[in-house]
Amino acid sequence: MSNHFTRLAARMHVIPPLRRCAFLAAGLLCLPAAAQAHGILGDRFFPATIASDDPFAADELALPTITSFGHETDYEVEYSKSIFRGFALGIGAGYVDARPPGEQASAGWDNLEISPSLELFRDPGHEIILTGGLDWEIGGSGSQSVAGRSSTFTPTFKYGKGFGDLPDSMAYLKPIAVTGTVGYALSGRNGEANSIEWAGAIEYSFLYLQNNVKDQGFSNFTAHLTPIVEYNFSSPVSAGGGGTTGTINPGLIWSGQVEQFAVEAMIPVNRASGSGVGVIAQLHFYIDDMFPQSLGRPIFGGPR
Amino acid sequence: MITRTLLAVTVISWMATPVLAHAFLNHAEPGAGATLAQAPQEIALSFTEKLEPTSSGMSISDAAGHDMEAAAPAISGNTVTVALKPLAAGTYRVSWHAVSLDSHRTEGSYSFSVVPPG
Repeated sequence: MSNHFTRLAARMHVIPPLRRCAFLAAGLLCLPAAAQAHGILGDRFFPATIASDDPFAADELALPTITSFGHETDYEVEYSKSIFRGFALGIGAGYVDARPPGEQASAGWDNLEISPSLELFRDPGHEIILTGGLDWEIGGSGSQSVAGRSSTFTPTFKYGKGFGDLPDSMAYLKPIAVTGTVGYALSGRNGEANSIEWAGAIEYSFLYLQNNVKDQGFSNFTAHLTPIVEYNFSSPVSAGGGGTTGTINPGLIWSGQVEQFAVEAMIPVNRASGSGVGVIAQLHFYIDDMFPQSLGRPIFGGPR
Repeated sequence: MITRTLLAVTVISWMATPVLAHAFLNHAEPGAGATLAQAPQEIALSFTEKLEPTSSGMSISDAAGHDMEAAAPAISGNTVTVALKPLAAGTYRVSWHAVSLDSHRTEGSYSFSVVPPG
């Protein structure tokens, strides 16, 4: 799902909310469907990350993602629909409510974002996945008060790797997995630098620990927790673009059968990234499990 | 407004179709990493969803890769059990695959050890 900090940093804003969300949700429920297994690779389940994109092209819905950082609160929704096995099309929207001290408050819909993803390589045995994608922020599609008029294109490479193939002598490191993205943002705005967008996550799966390494006697609730640290950075590459900005986000994800809930702190890495600690939270639905015979299936072909 | 929308989406989603999710391992006996003084006579796995009997299964192998099942796995509802041949002291690998009724597949594996006291 989309790069939250990049959009925040671009103008300290985010996605359009609820009237559009309601239409979008209604539309989603009416679509035909057949999808991918969300985040499952070999023995491992990767939960959906919230501050960085994960590498799975799946049927999923993030509704809502709420970000409070600095003097801005954003409400986002993002839906990903598998077109065929390994290829999904995402659409994101968000509503921005910015109240900077000493300045006029502004609120409105951010630009829509379209994000196709194509899984390029999967190795379940070694828990590796590589994915190519593109994020297209459609300039002028949001409110003039908060959204830019120019589009931004960000070709992105995504990866995921679980460490279940470590030797048994390192058994307690096997629940670790990493995901990440590296993208090059081509800005269409005059005077705005292109940038490298790099984000990712390191996570420790209690489920993997419990079921594959050592039964800890966890309750069903605890076994579905994943402690996680995400990071999300933007490094301008053009002259005058300034330095790298971003946040490091420690948090926790709980994954249920068809839904997950995640909450993370957002810690700015330097003064240019903001002041104070923010928070991001998300409710996420696995559409492939909610609607396995309809909306949760790829439009063309069967599920994985 | 936001709350109403969320409630509506959630309620409609759950009403639209019966939920059939991936089958994740919920409990294993013996469990992952267990060290047992007495060899188990069977392995029992329970999952979070009901299983498709013809597509789900389990195997147990010793360190040399020999199969240790005494019979085919028995699958009922969300559980899989398999009777074992007599197990000597050693480490054994349990490998399972589960296909839920909506055809989603999951898999996993773990080890346990038999270490007689003494």
